[in-house]
Amino acid sequence: MIGRPVFAFVLAALLVTPVLGAAPKDAPDITLTDLSGKPIRLGDLRGGVVLLDFWASWCIPCRRSFPEVDALHRELQSKGLTVIAVNVDEQQKNAYMFLEKYPHTMTIAFDPKGAVAQAFDLQAMPSSMIVDRRGRIRFTHEGYTDKTISLFRSEVLQLLAEGE
Amino acid sequence: MSWKTRVALALTLSAAGLSATGCATVQPWQRGLLADSCMVFDANNTAAYMTHWQEAREGSMGGFGVQGGGCGCK
Repeated sequence: MIGRPVFAFVLAALLVTPVLGAAPKDAPDITLTDLSGKPIRLGDLRGGVVLLDFWASWCIPCRRSFPEVDALHRELQSKGLTVIAVNVDEQQKNAYMFLEKYPHTMTIAFDPKGAVAQAFDLQAMPSSMIVDRRGRIRFTHEGYTDKTISLFRSEVLQLLAEGE
Repeated sequence: MSWKTRVALALTLSAAGLSATGCATVQPWQRGLLADSCMVFDANNTAAYMTHWQEAREGSMGGFGVQGGGCGCK
C-alpha cells in the first residue's frame, strides 16, 4: 500500500512536470549558410525576433506557407523580425527550382544534411520556430493550416512588443 | 549449454540481426525521396487507361477481369 505522503508527492510531481516542461528553451546556437554562401549565426541575431521556417521542395504544404511567410517578412522586417527559411532538401537543385517558381525576399538558408533540423528536434515538415529577443524558442508550429500565418503574425507581434 | 541450444541461439540471434538491418528511422526532413511522385503506386493514374487500350488492341475485352453490375457494359 502506498502511503498518503508518497501518493501526494507523485501527484504533485505529475502536475508540476508539464508546467516546468513548458519553460522556453534556449535556441541552439547554429550557423547556417545563405544563398550567397555567407554564414548566418543565430546567436548574432539576438535582440530581434527570429522566425525559422523549415521547408523543402517536396513538402506540399510548403508551397502555400513559403509565399505567406515571405509576405510576413516583408511586413514586419522593419519592426525587427528576421525570417530565415531553412531548406532541408538533400538535392539542392530541387530547392533552386522551387525558389525560381516562388519569388522571395526573406533569407534562404540550406541545411542539406539536416544538422540544424536535428538541433531543433524537428518532428514534422513543415515546422517553424519563433525565437524571442533573448534567444529562446517561444513558439513551435508543426504543419501548416489556414490559421497558421495569422498565429505567426500575432505571436511575432507579441514578441516584438516585449523588451529585451 | 548443449550444442542444440547453442545452434538455436545462434540462429535466433542471426535472424534478429538480419531483420534489424532492414529497419531505418527516417527523420521528417529526410522524406524527400519517399515523397517523390515515383514512390506512389500508380502516380499518374494511367493503369486503367493502359488496360483499356491493351484490351482493345488485343481484342481481349474481359481478359484482365470485368467489373460491373451484370449488364455486360464496362
